[in-house]
Amino acid sequence: MEQFVNALFNGLSLSSIILLTSLGLAITFGQMRVINMAHGEFVMVGAYMTYVVQNIVAVVVPPSMQGIYYILAIPVAFFTTFLLGSIMERFIISRLYGREIDSLLATWGISLILQQAARSIFGTQGVNVTVPSFLEGGITINGCTFSLNRIFIILLVLMCLLGMYLIMYRSGFGKQMRAVVQNRSMAQCMGINSRKVDNITFAIGSGMAGIAGCSVALLGSIDSTVGQSYIVNSFMAIVLGGVGKLAGTVLGSSIIGFSGIFAEQYTSATIAKAIVLLIVIVFLQKRPQGLFIVKSRSLDE
Amino acid sequence: MEDNTVLKIKNISVCFDGFYALTDVNANVKRNSIHFFIGPNGAGKTTLLDIICAKTKPTKGMVTFYPEGREKIRLMGMPEYKIVTEGIGRKFQVPSVFVNLTVEDNMILSLKGHKGILDTIFKKTSKEEMKWIYQVLERVGLKEHAGLRAGALAHGEKQWLEIGMQLVQRPEIIMLDEPAAGMGKPETFKTGEILKEIKKECTIIVIEHDMDFVKQAADTVTVLHEGKVLMEGSIDEVLADKTVQSVYLGRGGE
Amino acid sequence: MKKLKNQGSNICFLVIVILLALAPILAGAGIIKSTSMVLFLGKCIAFAIVAIGLDLIWGYTGILSLGHGLYFCLGGYAMAMYLKLQETQGGITDFMQVGGLTELPLIWRPFQNIFVSMLMVFVVPGAAAGIIGYFIFKSRVKGVYFSIISQALTWAAYSMFIALSPYTNGNVGITEIKSLFGSIKGSGNIDNMMKVFYLALLLLVLAYASSKYLVDSKFGKLLIAIRDGENRTYFSGYKVSKFKTFIYVISAVFAGVAGAVFVNFNGSITPSQMTISYSITMVIWVAVGGRGTIIGAIIGAFLINLCEYNLSSGSLVDIWQYIIGAIFCITILFFKGGIVGLVKERISKVDRKTD
Repeated sequence: MEQFVNALFNGLSLSSIILLTSLGLAITFGQMRVINMAHGEFVMVGAYMTYVVQNIVAVVVPPSMQGIYYILAIPVAFFTTFLLGSIMERFIISRLYGREIDSLLATWGISLILQQAARSIFGTQGVNVTVPSFLEGGITINGCTFSLNRIFIILLVLMCLLGMYLIMYRSGFGKQMRAVVQNRSMAQCMGINSRKVDNITFAIGSGMAGIAGCSVALLGSIDSTVGQSYIVNSFMAIVLGGVGKLAGTVLGSSIIGFSGIFAEQYTSATIAKAIVLLIVIVFLQKRPQGLFIVKSRSLDE
Repeated sequence: MEDNTVLKIKNISVCFDGFYALTDVNANVKRNSIHFFIGPNGAGKTTLLDIICAKTKPTKGMVTFYPEGREKIRLMGMPEYKIVTEGIGRKFQVPSVFVNLTVEDNMILSLKGHKGILDTIFKKTSKEEMKWIYQVLERVGLKEHAGLRAGALAHGEKQWLEIGMQLVQRPEIIMLDEPAAGMGKPETFKTGEILKEIKKECTIIVIEHDMDFVKQAADTVTVLHEGKVLMEGSIDEVLADKTVQSVYLGRGGE
Repeated sequence: MKKLKNQGSNICFLVIVILLALAPILAGAGIIKSTSMVLFLGKCIAFAIVAIGLDLIWGYTGILSLGHGLYFCLGGYAMAMYLKLQETQGGITDFMQVGGLTELPLIWRPFQNIFVSMLMVFVVPGAAAGIIGYFIFKSRVKGVYFSIISQALTWAAYSMFIALSPYTNGNVGITEIKSLFGSIKGSGNIDNMMKVFYLALLLLVLAYASSKYLVDSKFGKLLIAIRDGENRTYFSGYKVSKFKTFIYVISAVFAGVAGAVFVNFNGSITPSQMTISYSITMVIWVAVGGRGTIIGAIIGAFLINLCEYNLSSGSLVDIWQYIIGAIFCITILFFKGGIVGLVKERISKVDRKTD
């Protein structure tokens, strides 16, 4: 029982991390049909920003209040990657709409550059952030320990989800965004500045990667390839859930997260990951469009 | 079953998400005729063609194909490429030719037979086949453009090329989805003449809005409205019908 | 003039082959000082072969595989396993003993025999691609979805190779092996080196000739047709999934052969050649050289690797990553046809002027 609850919690935790990195992709890939291979590097940038903010705060603030660096790091990471995303959209992505495969390749070039930049600035050795004091330790209920930083990540995901839901479905900008996605030229005719909407949409997606980076920083050491290790799972989560649906992304991430943890009970972690990916691929045989299918009467996309 | 039926559409219904695009559609297409399906937008014309060539699965119903001199074939559940090799070709509404290949290559790829891997690698196109290709190209008026990239053709020429790509397969049935769309009057007329010429060798099913074109070429007309067959008959009968006039001709004009 | 244009890629390839053929002779005569340059050119030959394979499915058929490193490694490991067993006289290797094995595992046994091993270089990647391709293409997964799935598969295979370290030596890979014809390092073994080098060159010529034949046939036209209009091709009566699987297998076999050639020159193979990033690096070669032309893939593979060889030593190693990232990005954005595309454009411009 104890073991089961622990597995459940770990599954929830892993799912939430995958979901956090997938949320940004759900916007850039799901809504805009851009395969951003540099998304993982945006996660990395977010993680490094956490490290940078920690070091700055350490100089300015007395040791007893060190923990606040993390609260500061979240908006800093968000805006850094937001800005990066905006610049990338302006100069690269905007030339590649409708060329999905080319967008994948061009952004891969960017990801090479960002990785090397990280190595040049921070060195090839991984760096670590100290977990803020208010997130240390955990809550023990009936012999099961739930570590605080993982609970925090779950809450962070929920907040991001809520935020994204509000932006996409409850705001004026969200309406414009969905209008542009569904019918670009019609939206333009209605007086929507589609270039600006594209730019902000992409930037928000990138900003989500920055927040994901903050949570990744809590979990282990940060190096130039930290983003890569999450990105494969995230892409699979999007494909599994069905492109273009927020609910699908949540479900896809959960399936990959939970099945990964449960497979780990029986075999080693790496093999578990491999098995999960294979299961997803087999599943896609049955439903190539993913779990949530966007049905339409147009027969050829 | 009368001898001259080539395609029998029986009780076809199709449902998208609770919306019935077609309800109990029945139609018989006669051999060597030009059979038009007309109707207002959303009447289910394209969906019907999609069902015949297996692009869409019907919720219920059956389409049966009676090839000349062979056993009848049930088309339901067959993959689309098999239906094509059995002798039913389809031209799409948006001209879809292989834009990076020459007109001649487009035709070569469409030839009947040799659709296996080894055939395509090792088999050369025979002299007779090339002669046949040029005959068809001449018929659709593209002989001079044989060496041109298909992407460089004008819109109307692409339509003709796609018709030619169907013809070169020597199909028994050709289905054309708005072959005259985007064409001017003289081009449309020419298309009609081409169709009349080729119906000697095969059966043609056409979807079209242009009533002049329908008048010029049609043998039989089936009027669809909101997924149901409103009536079927010759062009004169259809034009004279009051209901048809009210739902289609009168309202939409031309 | 027109004839020259049609023969352009063949002439270009001939020049490359002649230059390559001279390299070991010059090294033998002592004109090229270091034999390591020749070994490097040998590796480039391997890269060119895998680039041709990648071009067949990406440039011609429009299927972007982000997992050709996997097939490259499958061929490479098949060759490396045979060569390793040559060292141990068919006995158990040291890393297996470290991993707790007491006798040679079953999957290693076939590689005691040279003929079986050489067959495996073709069969293993081909069969793997056949199975994967069959299922993926049957369900009509295409476009970026295929790319994402191929990437995930490669990643899964990479994890497996590392996890199964008693059989594969994990991260370290299979190292310290000689070539098919014995050691090729140092000036005393120039004869061996020449043998391996010319065998590799022969394979490159075969790869070029066969793929050229393939793309010039009706089959090649069909590949382009699939790239430009997959549905239309189904409605022309072709079972597209079968063709896609076939060309995917061919391409994987090319990658496998390339991996086997690579091992001979490199003296080792590691799972790092299987990673996603290594696989995408291969795509970079094709993109820069010019997708959709066989000669472009070859030129790209040689050019990028030669640049890397010359630039990535010493202090420039950091800058190289920036350069390659930028080159790739700019190629995709502004020069879709790559180098060959640029040259073609130039020629047709000159053509129009002279006409």
